[in-house]
Amino acid sequence: MSAKKLNLKEKYQLLTRDLDWDYSYEDRQQAFPFEEFEGIKITDWSKWEDPFRLTMDSYWKYQAEKEKKLYAIFDAFSQNNGHLNISDPRYVNALKIFLTAVSPLEYGAYQGYAHVGRQFSGVGARVACQMQSIDELRHIQTQIHAMSHYNKFFDGLQDFRQMHDRVWYLSVPKSFFNDARAAGPFEFLVAISFSFEYVLTNLLFVPFMSGAAHNGDMATVTFGFSAQSDEARHMTLGLEIIKFLLEQHEDNVPIVQKWIDKWFWRGTRLLSVVSMMMDYMLPNKVMSWKEAWEMYFEEAGGSLFKDLARYGIRMPKYSDIIEKEKEHLSHQVWWTFYNYGHAAGFHTWIPSDQELDWLSEKYPDTFDKYYRPRWELAKKMEAEGKRFYTKALPQLCNTCQVPMLFTEMDDPTQLSFRESVYKGDRYHFCSDGCKDIFDDEPEKFVQSWLPVHQILQGNCGGPELDKILGEFYGFNVGADNMDIKGSPDEKRWKEWKGVA
Amino acid sequence: MSYEVTIEPTGDVIEVEEGQTILDAALRQGVWLPFACGHGTCATCKCQLLDGDVELGNASPFALMDIERDEGKILACCAIPESDLVIEADIDVDPDFAGFPIKDYTATVTEVRDLSPTIKGVYFDLDGSMEFQAGQYINLNIPGVDGVRAFSIANKPSSGEVLELHVRLVPGGAGTSYIHETLKPGDSLKVSGPYGQFFTRKSDSKDVIFIAGGSGLSSPQSMILELIEEGDSRQIYLFQGARNAGELYNREIFETLEQEHSNFHYIPALNAPEQADDWQGFTGFVHEAAKSYFDGRFDGHKAYLCGPPPMIDAAITTLMQGRLFERDIHMERFLTAADGAEEQGRSALFKKI
Repeated sequence: MSAKKLNLKEKYQLLTRDLDWDYSYEDRQQAFPFEEFEGIKITDWSKWEDPFRLTMDSYWKYQAEKEKKLYAIFDAFSQNNGHLNISDPRYVNALKIFLTAVSPLEYGAYQGYAHVGRQFSGVGARVACQMQSIDELRHIQTQIHAMSHYNKFFDGLQDFRQMHDRVWYLSVPKSFFNDARAAGPFEFLVAISFSFEYVLTNLLFVPFMSGAAHNGDMATVTFGFSAQSDEARHMTLGLEIIKFLLEQHEDNVPIVQKWIDKWFWRGTRLLSVVSMMMDYMLPNKVMSWKEAWEMYFEEAGGSLFKDLARYGIRMPKYSDIIEKEKEHLSHQVWWTFYNYGHAAGFHTWIPSDQELDWLSEKYPDTFDKYYRPRWELAKKMEAEGKRFYTKALPQLCNTCQVPMLFTEMDDPTQLSFRESVYKGDRYHFCSDGCKDIFDDEPEKFVQSWLPVHQILQGNCGGPELDKILGEFYGFNVGADNMDIKGSPDEKRWKEWKGVA
Repeated sequence: MSYEVTIEPTGDVIEVEEGQTILDAALRQGVWLPFACGHGTCATCKCQLLDGDVELGNASPFALMDIERDEGKILACCAIPESDLVIEADIDVDPDFAGFPIKDYTATVTEVRDLSPTIKGVYFDLDGSMEFQAGQYINLNIPGVDGVRAFSIANKPSSGEVLELHVRLVPGGAGTSYIHETLKPGDSLKVSGPYGQFFTRKSDSKDVIFIAGGSGLSSPQSMILELIEEGDSRQIYLFQGARNAGELYNREIFETLEQEHSNFHYIPALNAPEQADDWQGFTGFVHEAAKSYFDGRFDGHKAYLCGPPPMIDAAITTLMQGRLFERDIHMERFLTAADGAEEQGRSALFKKI
């Protein structure tokens, strides 16, 4: 062994923690007012182990290099008309969902980490959050640029910001993130860094990035690799926060458990959109949602929760329900969008016969029994010129804001309804998980901006659907929505490809 | 064909099989490296190559950029050695690690003694004095056995010219069978050492708990003898687990120490005492003995665990539920061919556990 030199950890400490200062004339507690109100007890910030050790100057160096490489590929993709190499124009509808639902969450993450990065009195946590905040800003920018090429050739990508703010189904991801950002700083990190970035992120990234690779979308694949190279820091921050909270004080354990219960449930609801994308929207399939869930949640998450059990943390509440949902989620969600295809900012379709067979094979216990007959009926009705769209506005869950489309898991023919009365008003939920979350923080969730309620209250551009969709949501009605069959997207694709 | 990979700054050495990644080999051999995605996209396991050649594998061009490749950076989760290597990983050297040089010795057997029906004490003279830290182990070359076998050193570091090992007979194990059945005084074996990151953290002043099972008493014996020899005044607790009184070896040594030193406490536990044992002490597993003794609270201590994997696992859970965490728990798992089953998928939550 050679003489001891400063290792990375010591160098990093000198460059971060030693930048903190003592408060001589102000009360430190008042400088960090959010640190205690969640009930979390921190006894010793010095026990925080920096999850990564990257100094600002090397951060800029690395990120600049990544950008250079990424934008060179975007340029090449664009100059070579890369959109012509995708498998099928249906694929672009997955991107439309990504851009309107997921990319704005990156921006929300940028704001969220900037906010909580100010709120911790421990300097290690502050620096980690601030760096992640900058990463997230990079991610939204690169996503916009990756998809801007498609906006020149396909409908539905023209105004993701307005859509994210207003469109009924996009209130699901938006309210998820707003809930996290409106929570205290520790809950935010458990929600986003741990539950989402560490445990559930693979279920978002793998479908989109592998989906892009399987369907010839090199711009999105490249963006995905670029973003994932930042994820290491984000994931390790998620691990550190959970260990830190659990080790700092035993009174934190039940609080953390409650947050894990809440955010895993909310996460599964959010990912239900991804489930339909994997099973129905990717023309070239990667794997079924059920397979992805088993691999990334049940196996990887299982070993994580086995380790967490040593801290007294158990599997998230309703894990038994979640396990059953993998058989049903994608079918129930895509069927709902098919029913509301006229009110969606992307195209819908009936799976091809080959795709129906694939679903039968991947879901032998449920698809033929519960879901295939519906598609056979829809196919028959479409052939008879009777394509139907559901006219009534759906009832939304007051917590996750997903329409009441989920069934009881032990009886997939029975829709699941739950309700609570708070201060004389009745609130509706899709599940016990969502009801519990409301019951624990009713004052927060009575403020939910529920798109259907807002339409009925006249806050969304009037009573006519076309006005809501066109003016309030910003859709090009007749182009962005309805079936892919007969859409301008399909027409242009056929022209480019020279098929009738 | 396999390659030897030295991991700085700790100096740990691992064997990497043909086609195996460095990360896979390290984790399987109990050497922790930072990692997350495991497939070349996140860069958590980035290391510096100091010497040797590797195939970089499927490292993403964003996780390992060209400028980094030029600087000799590699991703341990993808990199496959093409020669013996030296790499530097983002891991910490324990300030208590002395880093004594690893040397080769010739060890001559002076005595082979029955410690219990299944455990033999083997005593050697070395052809030179070995500098080691109490808790570390040596590798033994056994005639007719491929590779080396690791055994913890049971004597204290101040008697570095001798070597005391405790060897449990592993049914069907070639190495331990040889030691139990063939080895005799006067035989000479090749030994190298010292190895390992299991040693007493003397810079830490907290009271210490030792939990030992089976022949895992060896390291704690060395560590305790040294602490007492140095007149250390902290409270020292030894929980020794065994099946029955016959397997509870070296009991007299620790009962004597307990009488002579008020800061040393000896708590043996038998999980299946025989009728004839007339056992008055704790009946149950050794981690249960510790839990009962400390009333389920362990914070404010350092713990050293040594023994078979199920005992270590149970002890870690007991300690953590009693608010003692990874940074204060040190362990040496005694793996044998019988424990060869593939480790189950592990999360990245813990570094050493």
